[in-house]
Amino acid sequence: MSGAARHAFGALYAVLIYGFIFLPVIVLVLFSFQDGRLPVPPFQGFTARWYQAVLTDRQLTEALINSALVALASSALAVLLGFLAAYGLARHQLPAAAGQRLLLMAPLTVSYLIIGLGLLIVWNALGWPKSLLAVGIGHVVINLPLCFAILYSQMGEHQAGLERAARDLGASEIQVLLKITAPVLWPALFASFFLAMTFSWDEFIIAFLLTRFEVTLPVEIWSLLRSGLDPKTNAVGSLVFLVSIGLAVLLELVLLRRR
Amino acid sequence: MSRPAGHSWRAILLVAPALLWTLAFFVLPFAVMVVLSLWERVGSQLVPSWTLANYAKLLERGHFLAALVNSLEVTALVTALSILLAYPFAWILAEQVPKRWQRLALLLAVLPFWTSYVIRSYSWLLVLAKNGIVNQALLASGLIAQPLALANSRTATVIGFVHFFVMLLTLTIYANLVQLPANYRRAAADLGAGALRTFWHVILPLTLPGVMVGAFLTFVLCIGDYITPQILGGNNELLLPQVIMLQIGRRADFPTASALSIVLMLVVTAAYLAAARWLKLERA
Amino acid sequence: MPEPLKSKRTTIGAALLVLLTAGSAADATEDLNALVWCDHTDPTLIEPFEKAHDVRVNLKDYEGTGTALSLIEQSQPGDWDVFVIDGIDVPRAIEADLLAPLPKDQLPLGDLFPELVMPANHEKDGQVYAVSEKFGYNTISFNKDKVDPADMNDMTVIWSDKYKDRIAVYDYYLPVLGMVAIGLGKPTAGLAEADLPVLRDQLFKMKSVAKLVGGVVESQTALATGEVDILVGGGEWVTASLTGDNPALDWVLPEQGGVRWSQSIGVFKTSQKQALALEFVKYILSPEGQARLATSSCYWAMPANQKAGQHLSEPQKRALRWSDQAGYLAKAQLYPAPSPELDAQMQDVWTEFLQH
Repeated sequence: MSGAARHAFGALYAVLIYGFIFLPVIVLVLFSFQDGRLPVPPFQGFTARWYQAVLTDRQLTEALINSALVALASSALAVLLGFLAAYGLARHQLPAAAGQRLLLMAPLTVSYLIIGLGLLIVWNALGWPKSLLAVGIGHVVINLPLCFAILYSQMGEHQAGLERAARDLGASEIQVLLKITAPVLWPALFASFFLAMTFSWDEFIIAFLLTRFEVTLPVEIWSLLRSGLDPKTNAVGSLVFLVSIGLAVLLELVLLRRR
Repeated sequence: MSRPAGHSWRAILLVAPALLWTLAFFVLPFAVMVVLSLWERVGSQLVPSWTLANYAKLLERGHFLAALVNSLEVTALVTALSILLAYPFAWILAEQVPKRWQRLALLLAVLPFWTSYVIRSYSWLLVLAKNGIVNQALLASGLIAQPLALANSRTATVIGFVHFFVMLLTLTIYANLVQLPANYRRAAADLGAGALRTFWHVILPLTLPGVMVGAFLTFVLCIGDYITPQILGGNNELLLPQVIMLQIGRRADFPTASALSIVLMLVVTAAYLAAARWLKLERA
Repeated sequence: MPEPLKSKRTTIGAALLVLLTAGSAADATEDLNALVWCDHTDPTLIEPFEKAHDVRVNLKDYEGTGTALSLIEQSQPGDWDVFVIDGIDVPRAIEADLLAPLPKDQLPLGDLFPELVMPANHEKDGQVYAVSEKFGYNTISFNKDKVDPADMNDMTVIWSDKYKDRIAVYDYYLPVLGMVAIGLGKPTAGLAEADLPVLRDQLFKMKSVAKLVGGVVESQTALATGEVDILVGGGEWVTASLTGDNPALDWVLPEQGGVRWSQSIGVFKTSQKQALALEFVKYILSPEGQARLATSSCYWAMPANQKAGQHLSEPQKRALRWSDQAGYLAKAQLYPAPSPELDAQMQDVWTEFLQH
């Protein structure tokens, strides 16, 4: 195959894959403007009333706030715990370090369903009420290994030298952590926080099992789906998409500028 | 090398919060689940009968075993298809797209990742419907005379899954490809007849770690997912997570649900062991 | 650990806790927790009561009594105040000592459709424990442009090869088992373990001609997009909200009859807010509350209280088939009401049916 033909073939393939990837999003957004009760073909014309319905829906807006709170708080904690553990394991000789790393990484290999079910059983046994706090705890469990892995992999020798120099100049451990390690690792800290946010924000099964009245957005969307066809579902989906992209682009810009 | 620490007690305190968190909210619940899987639910009571009866159900009840088999089949199919679709795509992104457009091209490729995944499945239901966009396009092009029955089937479940994992795998494979020394890739791209051999003997082995990490993530996330088959599968067959949720949701049979979950977990562990040599945690 | 770090983390931990629990701060002075079917989550139904009593009603919706009992089992006594449950399952709830007796003189029992009073279900030892609030039918919904409406008058159409791959089945075992029983000429009230093998075979036969088994949204999507033309287990509760956009969607009670479902409302025995919970029950049963419940966004269905008719418009009444109810009530049978053991077996059969 000549270079030009290969390029043409590659371009065609890429267009097909992009089409496949965007197909459900396009249909979702299109039918969120459906002027009718049924978000199914044929398309009957544009209306914005489903967006209005979403924004005035108390349960949906509360669920949105709940999701944001859980995502922010659980990601912050996961990054903090992951950062301390990565620093401890990368910079110090610890007994059974390999075992500790394995334990910290273990939740990555377990389905969310199982993590959620395990927490549910413990919560039931202890008589604790289901709550957003329980969901947040579960989300730290799933995100801690990710944050730890990312941060641990970035604790290179270059920073170690800087830290050593700072220590030689009389800096305390805490000063080293705050003034040297964290600033140098800033992009990795940011990336892991962002990744954890994304996973928490969209996580369904743990939130489904561990909440009751105050639910997160994916759970509220699920119960919206249980109650029948409604273009409101499309409108919520499109809004979430829009907001998430906005955030992603913003973070991308912030990250790029820092580099 | 790490500095031999004089303050190892302090280092233990650094790691302790993460370790304790994992022990309290991951290991402990799992241990309770193992215990519970050996108990039984009789009427509405939990009886500590220390029996393997819940595990035996997997063999006794054809529909439980079928769920496990279905899950394995679907997951294997999804993992294979996703790799086959994502690898060339990642290659094109890394090789043919000009450098300064690559970030944008990659961002576009994973953009739908940020739609709510519950809604993504629901949206596929509309896309694949009898009068959905796919069928209409195929009918209009004259490729088919009758609309295809795509929605509410294993096909729909697999499509829903592959959509998500193509995005994920494109990311991991791309990340691996761009780390390759440029002259390797140029060799593979330019050598004409030798290109396939270069790819097979040089590029593929070098990118295998990225592929395996992605494949393993795909396997874990796919085999444990409840939403996609529940929305898209039309209950024409049940996968293991659906059967587990039926045990919890309709009858609070936590012992049976625990036993089935542990089976699911063992399957994932087996997959982990198979892929373990590529899943090393390394420092830069 | 160095003091500054420790205190910093304590502060962060406290902040996280505040963040995570902040959502629970409600404006209203009191909370009422209700376990309901999804039709009760419509704000037009709930908000008037919240305003009138300065209370916040927390709603958890579920599908199927098994799910509700499972949720209750995972709760602490006092967690729940109001319970909406299938009428047929009220005796189970009374037996399990979940419900508190209600003051008969404060309930509009005389205004209900007589068939919906159901004393055998709602009363025990002369005490009333729950009241019917809404009812409808699990029967056959169909697209009248695509099928021969005459065929829909025979229940056995649900497993006929004539409509192979054009049938959806609603994913709820009790009513569908009831419909299969009716199609086989077995009264739903008398179903016993001995009937299960026959029911099972017939379910499998139905599965072989069905395109899908799904929840509300999957079934509605399939019907609305032409994926299927018949919905087994449907009725006004599925089609009423769709007919505005697709007038071809209709439903019928076959010659053999259909399954009548009804929801009942009661107060949890362990509720700490008996008086407020009773007020909520009275509101839901009032003519205004009944009209709002009948036309609530999740699904429409007949109100149990005949006086609700005053608050419903003519088109609403037509959609609900208000004037046909006398004939329908006479022809329909109740949901099967299995013992806990039989119920477990029925669920197993249903799981097998899904996996078949």
